[in-house]
Amino acid sequence: MNETALKANGITKYFHDPVTMQVLKSIDLDIKRGEFVSIVGKSGCGKSTLLYVLSTMDTDYEGTLEINGVNTTGLSQNHLARIRNESIGFVFQFHYLLPDFSCLKNVMIPALRLGKLSYQEVEEMAYQKLKMFGVEEQALKKAGKLSGGQQQRVAIARALVNNPTIIMGDEPTGNLDSKNTEIVFDLFRQLSQEYNQTIIAVTHDNDFAAKSDRVVEMADGEIIAHHKAGTFHQH
Amino acid sequence: MKTSVNTEIAITYLSSRKKQTVVASAGVMFGISMFIFMQSLMKGTNDYFEKMSFTNTPHIKLYSENKVADDHMLTGMLKDASQKILTNPKQLNESQGLTNPYGIIDVIKKNKQVAAVTPQVTGNVIYTSGSVELPGNVAGVQIDQEDKMFDVQGNMVSGNLHDLNRVHNSILIGKGIADKLSLHTGDNITVRAGNGNTLVMRVIGIFSTTVKAVDETKSYANISVVQSLIGKDRSYVTEIKVNVKDYNNAPAVARQIEAITGYKAEDWVKANEQLKAGFKIRGIILNSVIGVILLVAGFGIYNILNMTIYEKIKEIAILKAQGFAGKAVTSIFLQQAVMIGIIGGIVGLIIGFSLTYMVSRIYIGAGMLKYLPMSFYIPHYIEALAFGILTTVAAGYFPARKAAKVDPVTIIRG
Ligand SMILES: Nc1ncnc2c1ncn2[C@@H]1O[C@H](COP(=O)(O)OP(=O)(O)O)[C@@H](O)[C@H]1O
Ligand SMILES: [Mg+2]
Repeated sequence: MNETALKANGITKYFHDPVTMQVLKSIDLDIKRGEFVSIVGKSGCGKSTLLYVLSTMDTDYEGTLEINGVNTTGLSQNHLARIRNESIGFVFQFHYLLPDFSCLKNVMIPALRLGKLSYQEVEEMAYQKLKMFGVEEQALKKAGKLSGGQQQRVAIARALVNNPTIIMGDEPTGNLDSKNTEIVFDLFRQLSQEYNQTIIAVTHDNDFAAKSDRVVEMADGEIIAHHKAGTFHQH
Repeated sequence: MKTSVNTEIAITYLSSRKKQTVVASAGVMFGISMFIFMQSLMKGTNDYFEKMSFTNTPHIKLYSENKVADDHMLTGMLKDASQKILTNPKQLNESQGLTNPYGIIDVIKKNKQVAAVTPQVTGNVIYTSGSVELPGNVAGVQIDQEDKMFDVQGNMVSGNLHDLNRVHNSILIGKGIADKLSLHTGDNITVRAGNGNTLVMRVIGIFSTTVKAVDETKSYANISVVQSLIGKDRSYVTEIKVNVKDYNNAPAVARQIEAITGYKAEDWVKANEQLKAGFKIRGIILNSVIGVILLVAGFGIYNILNMTIYEKIKEIAILKAQGFAGKAVTSIFLQQAVMIGIIGGIVGLIIGFSLTYMVSRIYIGAGMLKYLPMSFYIPHYIEALAFGILTTVAAGYFPARKAAKVDPVTIIRG
């Protein structure tokens, strides 16, 4: 119990275009297995940038990052790709499905890439994930034909398909109405409690944040506060 | 084997952009069908001309060269080469025959690569019938041997060539001679040799080779008849014709025969240097045309894949974010190129074959050449497919590498 899922030490990042600017200022963050963490802060404070670093996609940073006990700083792109495929599910701010593929295929692709299950098993599992978000009826439709909210739910289903230990979302409920936001929140809550999956979600929705295990508050590239469950209130 | 996810993505991309896929495949298809069609036409004609050349040229022809008088024996005696003894040397008036021809034939027959050997006496003559005269040459041959080597039977228009052995003073004439002198099988023809000897001969048959110059001048008679016509004895032979088992070995066998007999042995390659030069030039033209076609097809694929990557850059970023490594992305796009190559290639093979077949059925009726000589040669098809796929892989490689280098964060951040 209480293993560390993700450990960031002194994460510092600069953007050089148009002028050199420090976006992340020595960020330390420790997240346990099964913890449901929200990251909040004003627009432009560096939340997305931090999340990309934590997801291993952005390797242009100073400091060290450890995922499930493995130091990922300095690993090759191929190695990082394998870690992402296996252990990290990512929900993007703007859903980003592959429009030429059916919703079901979109969900299946990361699992097919992982190659641990047979095609039929992957198909079955992908369908189950779609069902969890109430979009199973869209399974065979081209992803490009769905509404924004439906696409976002398919994207979340896709992030979960490999049962990753860590699920990251950049405003995962940004395009959803309050009813669907609640469905997603409840599901995240269930995943963290019952399946010990770690949730890290950047959000603007303070109600959503307030109900999570911990709220990490950022300002100007720094973490200014950690709020325990139930202690975060809108200022 | 189950298809990998890379293959599945490649197929989806190709089928969701049908128009581009068809255009790219059409380029490859065009290149490959042209490759096959033109190779078939060229090999067909080359083979035809090669075969044609053997209908009146032996693989090897042994003859005595006209010698020009030289002074090497005299200078040898003087031991002084600076002294010019012979000015204005003339051709030696030796008989143009081969010495001891039947001895030579026996020697040649011992060579294991030799398939057939036959002596010939050629005499320049004037054919006369009524008041019409026609210059030409009569070949004194052993007709059975001649037929074996050159398929005289296949050229027969009328008569029976074996009558040459049965009918006294008989002759087999070209169709051009028969037409000009209005002769038919069974008629008589007067043949006058250069020395003034005249012989009335019985036409026992007419042949046609499609080569006008041959049909209007050539005739066959028994070797002994021609020997006596031109006033020579039975051992007089102007040339010995040799066919070998594999005509590609003719030059080597010719050198051996030359070494043994001391006479000039001309092989068909030498005798047909022009033909071979023609083959070579046509080969170069053909290969440049095919090269250009495949290059254009390659550029088409390169362009279309580049465009696809530009359009799909966001999706490539997503795939990489989800754990597709660079080599998986390369494989997705390279497979698209290969699939375009295979689709275009297979359709190209079919069209190339159909085109070749259709053209081979077009009646052109030029002499013996009734249909265009097209060859159906399996290696052409294998080569065509290999070239096609090689081109597509080369054209797809660079766009695919570019796709692999897409940085997901830069794209997703926007
Ligand atoms: N590619 C980039 N180049 C330069 N500056 C950038 C780039 N992406 C983001 N920024 C800047 O970095 C800061 C943090 O951005 P971001 O992490 O997207 O903020 P948030 O997600 O908290 O709204 C902002 O000031 C933004 O303008
Ligand atoms: Mg953001």
